[in-house]
Formats: sequence, C-alpha cells, structure tokens
Amino acid sequence: MNAIEFILAGMLAAATPFLLAALGELVVERAGVLNLGVEGLMAFGAMLAFIIVYHDGGHLLAFVAAGLGSAVLSLVFAVVALGFRANQVATGLAIGILGQGLSALFGKSYESLTVKGLPRLALPWLSEIPVVGGLFIQDVVVWLSLAATLAIWATFANTKLGLVVRAIGENPKAAHAIGYSVVTVRFAAVAFGGMMAGLAGAYAAVVYTPLWADGMIAGRGWIAIALVVFGTWLTGRIFLGACLFGAVSLMGLGAQATGLDVPSQVLASLPHLVTILVLGIISADRRLLKLNGVASLGEPFER
Amino acid sequence: MLNNLTRRTLMKGVAAAGLTGVLGGRVAMAADEPLGITLVIPSPVGDVGWGHALAAGLEPVKAAYGDKVRVTVIENIPEGPDADRIMNKTVSDGNNFLIAGSFGYQNGALQIARRNPAVTVLHASGFQVAPNFSPFAAKYFQGTYLLGMAAAALSKTGKLGSVSAFAIPELITSINAFTLGAQVVNPDVEVSVVWVNSWFDPAKEQEAAKALMAQKCDVIFSNAQDTPSVISACEEAGVYAFNLNSSMKKYAPKTYLGCVATDWSPFFKASVDAHVAGTFKGANAFLGVSDAVVEVVDWNPDIPADVMTRIKAIEAKIADGSFSPFTGPITKADGSEGVATGTTLPDGEIVAMDWHVKGVATPLPK
Repeated sequence: MNAIEFILAGMLAAATPFLLAALGELVVERAGVLNLGVEGLMAFGAMLAFIIVYHDGGHLLAFVAAGLGSAVLSLVFAVVALGFRANQVATGLAIGILGQGLSALFGKSYESLTVKGLPRLALPWLSEIPVVGGLFIQDVVVWLSLAATLAIWATFANTKLGLVVRAIGENPKAAHAIGYSVVTVRFAAVAFGGMMAGLAGAYAAVVYTPLWADGMIAGRGWIAIALVVFGTWLTGRIFLGACLFGAVSLMGLGAQATGLDVPSQVLASLPHLVTILVLGIISADRRLLKLNGVASLGEPFER
Repeated sequence: MLNNLTRRTLMKGVAAAGLTGVLGGRVAMAADEPLGITLVIPSPVGDVGWGHALAAGLEPVKAAYGDKVRVTVIENIPEGPDADRIMNKTVSDGNNFLIAGSFGYQNGALQIARRNPAVTVLHASGFQVAPNFSPFAAKYFQGTYLLGMAAAALSKTGKLGSVSAFAIPELITSINAFTLGAQVVNPDVEVSVVWVNSWFDPAKEQEAAKALMAQKCDVIFSNAQDTPSVISACEEAGVYAFNLNSSMKKYAPKTYLGCVATDWSPFFKASVDAHVAGTFKGANAFLGVSDAVVEVVDWNPDIPADVMTRIKAIEAKIADGSFSPFTGPITKADGSEGVATGTTLPDGEIVAMDWHVKGVATPLPK
C-alpha cells in the first residue's frame, strides 16, 4: 500500500465525524438557528456510545443512545435559545461546555479504555480495482453517512419539508404568516442537529478510534461548524469539504511517513488551509453566497 | 486523598478563590498545615501513560507522609496562559510544592519559582534551573536503545516507525537511540517518524500509525502518547509496538514489544524530603536505569533468545554506567559527524539534541 492508496482508503472514514456533525449543523442553520455547541454535543455522544459498547451493549444501541442523548442535550439549548430567546451564540457555547464537562465527568472511570471497532465491508467488484479499491472498503457507518448526505441533499432540493425549513430560515415572519410553526420546526431542527453530532461523536469513540479519552474530539466539532459556513450551506460542498479535510490531514501524515522534506507543522496546518482555500474559491461568487446564506441566522423569532 | 480535578471542575472554584484572595490576601500557613503538593499535567490521568506515571510517582510520598501532605492532581491543562493562571492559583492557595508536568509549562512555572522562594517547583522535560526549580527528565533513550535492538530483530521489512508528539529534544533523543539500537542488529534499518504536533489527539495518532504501516513499517514506537491509540491499532494490524512510561500490554497482548517504564517515586520522595528539611537545591535531574527511574518491562517473548541475551548484556552495562547509547562514532542524518569515535555525548548535549542520526528517514522539522 503506498501513500495514495493509504489516503484513498482512509479518507472517507476520516471525514465521517466531520460530515455527520456538519450535516446536522447544516439543518440547524438552514432553519435559522446557530448552535455552537457541536463540540460538546459530540463529546457527550462519544462518551455515551463508549460506555454502552464497553459494557457489551453493542454498537447499534450505542449509536441510538448517543443520537438520543445528544438530541436531548441540544433541546436544552433549544429551550433556552428558542423558548426564552436567549442569545444563541452564548447559549450554544454554554451547552458545548456543559457537554464536554458531562462527558469528562461520566467518562472519568473509562479513561484510556479501549473497545472493538466495527468490521469493514467491501463492495464487490469495486473494492478489487487497483489503487482506488480501498475507497470501497469501509465500515457500515461510513456507507450510512453517505446515504444520509444524499438524503439531506434530496430533502432540501426536492421536498416540501426541505422548503419549509429553508423558508423558516430565510424569513420566519413570512413562514409564520402562512401558517408554519417557526419554533416547532426550529426545535426539531436543533434536535436533529444534536442527534447528528451525537452520532458523529459515537463514530469517533467506538468506530474510528475505539477508545475513550477526555478531550478526544479535539476540536472536530468546531471544524464541522466551519465546514458549514465555508460550504456556503450547500450539502454537496460540505461533503466535499469534509472529504478534503480528511484527505489532506491523512496526506500530511502520509507525507511524513514517506520522509518528504516538508516541516510537519506546515503539514499539520495544511488541512485547514486547503479546505479554506478550496471552499473559499468555489464560493467566491458573492451573489451566490447571498443566495445560499441564511437570512435570519442567529436571530430570535418573535411573532 | 488524591483530589482529581479537571479543568472544568476547577473553573467553579476559581471565582470563589479569587474572592478570598482579594479579601484576605494570602493566608499565612500554620506550622502544622499539611504540605500542599500540586501536580499539573496536560492530559487526563488514565490507567496508563505519562500522567499516570507522574501521579503514581506521588503514591509513595503519600504513603510516607500520610496526612502531612495534601496531594492535588490538576489534569487536562493545555500549555499556555491557562496553565500559568492555574499554577499561580494553586501556589497562592498555599500549595508550596508544585510539579509542572509538561515542557510547555516552563516559563510560567519558572516565574512562579522566582516570585515565591518558599515554593519548590519540579518541571518536566525542561532545561532551566533555579535555586528552587529543578527540571527533571527520564533517560528514555537508554530504554529505547534496547527496544531498538529488539525491533530490528523482529522486523521483516527493515522499516521501523515512530508516532511522535512534538519535535523536542527529549523525543528526538528517544528516536535517535531507538535507531542506533536497531542498527546494532541490522545496520541497514530505516526509521520513519510522523510528528502529530499534539500531545493528545488519539484519532490523529492512530491515523499516523496507519500511515507508517502503509509505508511497510512493521514495528512502531509510540513516542509520548498517553492513550493506547497507537498500541491498539498496531495489535489490530499485527504490527509490533512499544511505548514509554507505563505498560500498555493489556491493549496488545500479542504484539506488545515492551515498555520503557518510568518510576518517578524515588525522585519525588527525595525532593519532598529535601523541601521539608529545607535543604532543597535546584538541579538538573536527568535520571535513568541506574537511578531506578527507567526500566524496560514486559519484553515480548517473540524476541529471539540470542538477541535477548545481547540486550540484557547491554542493559547491564548501561546500569553500571560503562556504556552510553550516544558513544561515537555517530553520524548525523545530514552526513556530518554527530559524536566523534571514542567519545560519549555528555548529558548536557543529550538534553539539547536537535539532530537526527543517520538512519532516520524523516527530516527533522525546523
């Protein structure tokens, strides 16, 4: 296996935690809500999932619990930020810190323990192609995240539900005037975002790096939020950004392993630089940015 | 009792403590107050790893002094202003013995020592010395040299790898000695290094291990990782691996090569004794096999018996001081002379090492 095969084989799995969390945040922001607590929601989900797998509860239950647990935690955000119309930035940060604190607290006795990950499934035929074959040998969660990406893209593009969520993000007053409950839809969006962040955390703790350590999310939640913004709230670009980020971070490690003479600090910052650059270039069209941007993002809704 | 605080639980106390600080100034310590010992570390304390080794090193101190000491471990403190603030707080709370458990705490910890002559500070992996400030470091290189010999004997590809945290002298020295030891058994061995530029990012560490495996490295040195991220990934892939500080054999029952274990208790005990007696004198504490601080444990039974005999012979020579891994001739990676034939690198140059030996394939980041 050479460096290119290594990057191709690992790219999708490396992207999955970012992708899941960013897709969730995309739905939240599309509905006009800014939830900055993703990092903490991921950590909370990761901790729940790890504890369940560690006690032989199985991966399925772990993912369900992580999704539900983080969704419930994100509803605390919804009650404060949407119900009581508190500042969304401050509330999101607070919930994020709460999630990290809770994960550290309940995860304390599991520190540095390990569990078994999930087996990888190979797609017939495709996985036997030389060089790119590794791309088609992934665990089931990766395949499901790709399906979720398609589903969310299709929902926004083709369904009434998608249009309602977008309308509420664009102009909540108008949406309200024609009879949609802005707060209900926003609550649902926040819960969905929380669930996705929980799943992302679960993936990180019981599949990708099957161990628990306080702080293991290591800023991935923040990168997910950044991906949504740099992906200009478009599902396809967020997917691209997540893959790019995953691929370039693996590239940095692969390049060092092959002995390339580039300072490792530069390689470590490359994923950030390249992702910002590429997504920046493709979203350089300001007219398009205005079109895709969410008009009421972060503003509390008052009838 | 050991108080395990996390940064977050500490935050709650900061406000209250700040208030008492303002109102009462520093509370004078009564003579019968227990000696407050605070250990600050950058990662969480687990069952294994650097933080665990430091915390475990304080156990004999607690056993010896009982309720005459009060030990607080503050974990998960990133290097930087946050750490300075927390170390300042713990000292102003009356804890007169501070162990700053990471290289990056150096400047903040040194300032504390200068401002508070009554406080004794031990600082991990640094080089600054003051009358009440001792840097301490383990001669990991003595152990990694021995494991390098074992690694070269077991490697089929002749390629070894290391997942390393930051390119600081301590870690560079470990990699160099690992390479030199490997060359004793196989002169053509090649060592690749991946710097993850983080003390703590299990996912990235595991990715780095996989990147090395993709380059056909079949023995991997987990250099300064606090979780079994690298070790467990290696077990899964059937690749031999070893680490520093405390044994991770339970995470890799088949492919665990060994552990360069550290036992800080003799040093911590001696330093606390000196502090209590008022005789503490800051000095560079660079401790190894002969100080009973470093020991290689959990050797893998797959290591061929003849190689094991050679390893044990060299281990004995390191222990009695008649051999150092950094004995010339040693060539640097750039081809220039590192250590001249017949001379041995003094400790002062070992702790400041900023070059790779020939055989390390990855260029050193500048």
